[in-house]
Amino acid sequence: MDILQLIQANLLTPIILFFLFGIIAARIKSDLKIPDAISEFLPIYLLAAIGLHGGIEMRNTGFENMLVPMFVAIGLSLLFTLNHYQILRRLGKFNLFDSYALASTYGAVGAVHFSVGLSFLKNQGVTSEGYIAAILAVLEPLAFILAIFMTNMAVSKQIRAKRKSVGDDASTDIDVGLNETKTKLSKVLHESITGKAIVILLGSIVIGYIIGEEGFEPIKIVFDEMFTGAIVIFMIEMGIIAGQRLGDIKKVGIFLTAFAILIPTFNGVIGVLVSTAIGLSLGGSVMFGLLLASASFIAAPAVLRQAIPQAKPSLYITSALGITFPYNIIVTLPLLFALSTILHSGETIDLFNFITGGLI
Amino acid sequence: MKLYNVKLLTITCEILAQENILEILKKHEITGYTKYEVDGNGARGLRGQGFKNEKNIKIEVIMREEKLQDVAEEISRTQFANFAIVLYVSDVGVLRPEKF
Repeated sequence: MDILQLIQANLLTPIILFFLFGIIAARIKSDLKIPDAISEFLPIYLLAAIGLHGGIEMRNTGFENMLVPMFVAIGLSLLFTLNHYQILRRLGKFNLFDSYALASTYGAVGAVHFSVGLSFLKNQGVTSEGYIAAILAVLEPLAFILAIFMTNMAVSKQIRAKRKSVGDDASTDIDVGLNETKTKLSKVLHESITGKAIVILLGSIVIGYIIGEEGFEPIKIVFDEMFTGAIVIFMIEMGIIAGQRLGDIKKVGIFLTAFAILIPTFNGVIGVLVSTAIGLSLGGSVMFGLLLASASFIAAPAVLRQAIPQAKPSLYITSALGITFPYNIIVTLPLLFALSTILHSGETIDLFNFITGGLI
Repeated sequence: MKLYNVKLLTITCEILAQENILEILKKHEITGYTKYEVDGNGARGLRGQGFKNEKNIKIEVIMREEKLQDVAEEISRTQFANFAIVLYVSDVGVLRPEKF
């Protein structure tokens, strides 16, 4: 399959067209706006649909297949986050806080990416493993926790170094500061695990698992057939917000712009290669790759503003939403699909059967 | 009717700083406040558009002058550097000073 052709076909889907339309609407300063309540409702709806879908699939396939991909995804996500940090800090010369904030934004996963990916696969008539929704739930807070932990470590190291140089006179103040960072970490941990995104996602996975195909039948019209339509409405909103930020892209700089394009591509390709090797299906590998390629722009600001307030939100929101998200849904997604198609045609099928056969 | 002089502290800040501010108030044993979502323009650009967590919030607290110094000092020390915040104080008169 020709990659360019696929990208072109993808460009003309309602999801992408409405996203681009939203950008144009914002650029011409139209007062078009999705009402607040709806734009708050849609992410919850999308996550519920993803979770239900995942839970039902997991009932069909069972849990045991999930463990290997789950641990591989966790490992890759952490590895990528550290890798991003090194690139940003050493090559990009960003300060410690911005580097960790950006590293975790790109190490984290995006539920909107995931929704677009699912609907892309549906459009192509390809299914994916349901447990990837569970991986989404686990990966969601992971990169942030790592980044916050690393930032706190770095900061307390600096504080300790300062204390040594000053002597012990001011130790009470410093101890207070150290304790404050510790409580901050546990607070963030608690908040990100009990945050609405994770709660609705995990809840829907469990409910989907309990009800199965049969129980899903009466609510199918809302959570399955309306799924793509709901994403389209959400895409108008995303387009408008991205469009409002287009002017800020200049402030992001050339290095971060290149980072926001190259890193997702690299992470996504690695994701597809690794997931194919551990036996995921064609669609599953695309979703796995997309998860690793995605950057978080809804959860990231809420978490990072609290945990690493020193980092500039204009950097990580603008690059994730203004550059990476459009790039990923327009280019990376068809690219990963083409790659996965090539990998899953021919000999790799034997490998797939071999590995899944071994696991079961 | 006798009016008693107290201070009104008004804080306009990004919604993500809200929790920190409320925590500081709580620490100083201030339990009463009024808050509302607002939008506007400022040094950090047009605010209140787009994502919910990019909105602005306005918090109004009435307190006695003795507490005000400490509260304002702590907010400025811990929040000003990292968040979009405007803080100001005004004199107000209340009928029941024991409430504050």
